[in-house]
Amino acid sequence: MDPNSGDQETRQAFLLDARGITKSFGATKVLRGMDFSVAPGEVHAFLGGNGAGKSTLLKIVAGITGADGGTLHYKGLDVQDAAGQHARNQGLTVVHQELAVIPHLSIAENIDLPRYRRGYGLFNRAAAHRSAVEALSLIDREFAAQSTDRLVSTLSLHERQMMEIARALKSGAELLLLDEPTTNLTSEEAERLFTVLRRLVAEARIAVVFVSHRMKEIRQVADVCTIIRDGQSAVHRRPLTDLTDAEIIEMMGQSMVAPDATATTPVLAAAPRPKASAAGEALAIRGYGFDIDVGPGQILGLAGAPAGPQALIDQLIGDRKGAGIDIIHGGRPRRYRTPREAVRQGVGFVSGDRSNRGIIATLPIIDNMVASRRIAERRTFVRGGEAREAAGLLDALRIKARSVWDLPSTLSGGTQQKLIIARWLNLRPQMLVLEEPTRGVDVGTKRDIYTLIRAMALAGTTIVWWSTEQTELLELCDRILAFGPDGRATALLSGVGIDEEKLAAATGLAA
Amino acid sequence: MSQTESQRVAAADHKSEAPRPVARAGALTQILSTYRSEIAIAAAIIVLELALGIFVPNALTMGNFSDIAQATAPLIIMAIGVLLVVITGGIDLSVGSVFSLVGMVTGLVMDSGYSSTVGTICGLLVGILFGAVNGILVTFVGLAPFVVTLITYAVAGSLAFIVTDGHSLPINDQGYWLLNGGHLIPGLPNFALFCIILLIVVEFLLRRVVFGRWIYAVGSSPGAARLLGIPVHLVQFSVYVISGLLAAFASVLTVSYISNAEGTAGEAMMLQAIAAVVIGGASLFGGTGSAIGALLGALMITVIQNGVNLIGINSFWQGSVTGLVILVAVLIDRVSKARR
Repeated sequence: MDPNSGDQETRQAFLLDARGITKSFGATKVLRGMDFSVAPGEVHAFLGGNGAGKSTLLKIVAGITGADGGTLHYKGLDVQDAAGQHARNQGLTVVHQELAVIPHLSIAENIDLPRYRRGYGLFNRAAAHRSAVEALSLIDREFAAQSTDRLVSTLSLHERQMMEIARALKSGAELLLLDEPTTNLTSEEAERLFTVLRRLVAEARIAVVFVSHRMKEIRQVADVCTIIRDGQSAVHRRPLTDLTDAEIIEMMGQSMVAPDATATTPVLAAAPRPKASAAGEALAIRGYGFDIDVGPGQILGLAGAPAGPQALIDQLIGDRKGAGIDIIHGGRPRRYRTPREAVRQGVGFVSGDRSNRGIIATLPIIDNMVASRRIAERRTFVRGGEAREAAGLLDALRIKARSVWDLPSTLSGGTQQKLIIARWLNLRPQMLVLEEPTRGVDVGTKRDIYTLIRAMALAGTTIVWWSTEQTELLELCDRILAFGPDGRATALLSGVGIDEEKLAAATGLAA
Repeated sequence: MSQTESQRVAAADHKSEAPRPVARAGALTQILSTYRSEIAIAAAIIVLELALGIFVPNALTMGNFSDIAQATAPLIIMAIGVLLVVITGGIDLSVGSVFSLVGMVTGLVMDSGYSSTVGTICGLLVGILFGAVNGILVTFVGLAPFVVTLITYAVAGSLAFIVTDGHSLPINDQGYWLLNGGHLIPGLPNFALFCIILLIVVEFLLRRVVFGRWIYAVGSSPGAARLLGIPVHLVQFSVYVISGLLAAFASVLTVSYISNAEGTAGEAMMLQAIAAVVIGGASLFGGTGSAIGALLGALMITVIQNGVNLIGINSFWQGSVTGLVILVAVLIDRVSKARR
């Protein structure tokens, strides 16, 4: 299974060689003797479920945290020595899942500043502009043609991601660690990224470590893979062609089939039914040129570049101005001025920006789960029954938490995502608006989330779902509203006739 | 991949990873995890007091304890107000000046022949007014809390001198003293009673009232709070008003006790109140903190001052010692959080 271990000859050839890495946080053992080796000139897929220890290993490799045990060599040099450390710092660049951009500086400064290793050099604006344009044209000519003086705080999440990747590509690194770089990209942009990566690997013989949950793109771009499971390497350096998708998923310890609906329905049934009318009312959207009517329990998918879906969602949940279209919900035209009004009328929302607009980090899990219920039911006091309700929900969702009084940060990212969806579960909102609810979560968690949302639809909630993953839209939605790159609605697809090609044609994005 | 294959995978997975039941934490676990840092400060205060007792036997007498309680009561009240603002991620620099101004206004009203009740009410209204101005400027105008309260700090501070042209005001109403030193409950002086009631009310607000949980949510993640439907502006506005009111209440309590109002009375208190909140485990970034913590933080500061006096060290050293204690408290808090 592991032909390379102990073999000194091949070890020399690795750019990065980690052996037997262990790491604990308090009583939790995150890594238990993990091996991870990367050779120059390869794109290496690093796979594993949420909470398997991927992020921790990447942090150790990049030198952000230290390991408790094991050895880590970079170009044959031990990183515990000054020389090894220096080599790693010079040669390795990471693009983290949580973007490391400086919002109050311009695009040019963000791309060019890391080049300055010392603070006393003079900042050359023209040179910064040139290198920013050069970096950006690697991935998007159109983006590069815009002014590089724009502040990063004015960029969308997706533009920031592009900028950060461009910066990494331009950094001249020998080893690029990309932690889910495609989450905020359209498929077309992801395609361009892969082309650049392949070129850099072939011409400059750099190595790329690529973390993703999307099987299709892993196969597109990567040569070999390492799979981490429970803090150990379940698979170490195997060519991807050796493994089928099913084998990979099995190695990751992921179930393709979520706990069946019975696992969540008892919770749903046990929840007090607030009002008879609360279970879903028809939603009608006018002003896009098509008559869009969504009945209770139906799922409307939104597809395409962010501009269009974002504007519609903003208006549905009463955030900012929105798209300027007409929304009829429950038989009446609605124009919510604040999210608070929308929540009180039974509109739930799960934001795609989990850390800033989803989780309340300093409050325990229980408050995160019942916050929306307290608003919707206009509660004055915190109730004793809330702890029981929250614990019951955690059980039903198979969320492993020590106690409902722990902080959400003790849970993995995918589990936190389940948590902010579960907020609305017992509430039976009339409408639930979802913004990329499966972004950055593993296959198993994805299935869990699908089950959750189906269960809510069954209970009569109208669902509006924006996703950049076309396959999941096709699988789950009754109807899909497609938006073009300019933010205008291009098609309303429904029935058995929709497939990836039609959707791709309507959104102007590659399937 | 074939459906049967994936189901087999799922079945195998189900067996090996049966859902672990979520532990339903008992009340004790909950209290221990919620009040971890507060317990540490309480222990530190006791240790400090005992150590002081070795050098100065007088320190451990009922007389000295009641002195400490008397001196710390206004600071506790003010610190609990500041705490609420700090939990929302804001800051209130105006409390010290408001404290001074309220004393002068109360004294002036009583000096003009009105009863102590009217004076007290006028004083409290001034506190609410300044709190409301802070709240409006922060929420509806959208200015930074630091800037807004720096402005009201300056304005209230200068008004405190303007109202009497810089003179201090003696207060002759004998009955007024009862507000602080009287006994609504036999054996328990009123100032202590007020502190206990306030502690219980605010702690209950923060833990058991939904509005209290909103205060944390707003400080922790304003974006998430807004999308959840929490009235962020209302929460922010309210905490500034409460902070102003409590600063005013601390002031009338002090004035009634010392029977004298001075324009500089609150000068040192603003930084002490913020220090108390920080020692008590609140983060100035918002989202954390407790009323018990603020109370203990205020007590800690007073205990240090008292100790410095009793040992006979030059009182100019008080600030340095307090600073050192804040540093130690924050470092301990940081280490214990990193451990988790």
